[in-house]
Amino acid sequence: MSQREPERRRRFDALFESYSSDIVAYCGWRAASTSDAQDAVAEVFLTAWRRVDELPEGDAARVWLYATARRVIANQRRSNRRRAALQERLSREAAPVSQETALELDAVHQALARLGARDREVLLLAEWEGLSPAQIASVLGCLTVTARGRLHRARRRFRASFEELTGRQHTTPDVSRRRIHEHA
Amino acid sequence: MSTPESFEALRRANPRNEAGFAEAVDAAAGFVRTEIATAGDVAPPRRSRRRLLGLSAAAAALVVAAAVIAYSTIGSTGVQSASAAFEQATTLTAASAERSGTAVVRMTHDGKPWTGSTIRWNGDDIAVKSDMPDRNGRPGSALLVVDGVVYGVEDGRWLEMGSPKNIDPDSGTTPGETLAAVREDVGGATLRRITGGMTGLTSRPLADGFTVYSGAVPARLIARETGFKERQAIRVLPFGSVAHGEAANPAALLETAVTVGSDGIVRELAVEWGTWTYAVAYSKLGEAQPVRAPKNAVPMSEWRKLGRLTR
Repeated sequence: MSQREPERRRRFDALFESYSSDIVAYCGWRAASTSDAQDAVAEVFLTAWRRVDELPEGDAARVWLYATARRVIANQRRSNRRRAALQERLSREAAPVSQETALELDAVHQALARLGARDREVLLLAEWEGLSPAQIASVLGCLTVTARGRLHRARRRFRASFEELTGRQHTTPDVSRRRIHEHA
Repeated sequence: MSTPESFEALRRANPRNEAGFAEAVDAAAGFVRTEIATAGDVAPPRRSRRRLLGLSAAAAALVVAAAVIAYSTIGSTGVQSASAAFEQATTLTAASAERSGTAVVRMTHDGKPWTGSTIRWNGDDIAVKSDMPDRNGRPGSALLVVDGVVYGVEDGRWLEMGSPKNIDPDSGTTPGETLAAVREDVGGATLRRITGGMTGLTSRPLADGFTVYSGAVPARLIARETGFKERQAIRVLPFGSVAHGEAANPAALLETAVTVGSDGIVRELAVEWGTWTYAVAYSKLGEAQPVRAPKNAVPMSEWRKLGRLTR
């Protein structure tokens, strides 16, 4: 074991402790299958372990992990010729939930499925992963202004689809949700 | 304004809220540790030391050369006065830029155009236009904020994205947030940061009364936002252009020149490294130049009726 090994190990453990749930969640909705997601998480952290001396500090490390996970999953898709079918994945078996929650989840997933892949990705990076437009730009490798524009468009589209599916408007939150079934 | 119900529902649908997520994280932890144990003590790949040393030597040489030139051409008193004039120009420019102006950003690689955009601002109105087609050959993007309403281009047509009240605060997309992001770059903060970090300052008067101030500036002061893409650090230059090559190395010293007009206002910021150039030309600072809303913008509601929203 090298002299620096304990130090590297401590840094890696701290990184894993802080961000493993983020990367598990991200790979969960990005990868084509559960096993692909698990493989991706392992590869991301294996890469982080190998490069732990070079990783940035703080929140920048989190962005680095997202960017690495995105690349790993892209490679998975290329090598395996698999295509993530988000709509199918989103409809997978989940733990029992209330009727109302199920309807809402269904509408969310349908609205997400209606988005283009780029819009969906940028929206979920913001809403599920909590990244800022600048951080999203870093993950996607695009300009901040581009990420900002895509996010703006994705949010508008998602909101419009969701409201169309549920019949809900922001100003009239109690409108019937029957339309979920009409579009199901 | 409260968060729309749609986004509350979206956030509730976050996979982290699903039953079994904690177990999935635990399972991943076990899997990762097994993988690492199998991989053993893998020495982290090193970037080329020779390249890093080469960069450091080149940067050091640049600083030394610049310092020698500064000393031999204008002397220590001259350096002080050049610094003072430079600082004054920065302050004056920042004040002028507060109200309005235009910034034209150009980046080249190997002598060929790489990115280009024009930013105009007038009070709280702003226009950001990409002057070059994207990588697929499509026209560059455009974004307008006029009277608090956001406009964008979709399929070659102006689309009225809506008023600020329809945009969630803290989403990073409100007109105010967009404006703040641009203002940070056009205002004094960016210029002060860059000019304040310049070493080996030299000044060269031009025939037309302009003055060029040159020196070396650490890349971290020019390209600030850090991210990673394909294991390579990326940093972003003012107005959002991604910094490539040495500019992505925060410690690298970049050759920087700032041209100041005879009126004491900064006209251009130019940075060179390797085969790259980056320049921002400022004009009409402090001059009223209204940003107008596009006449034929399609409202979002109309766009939705056309069935384009869920394309």
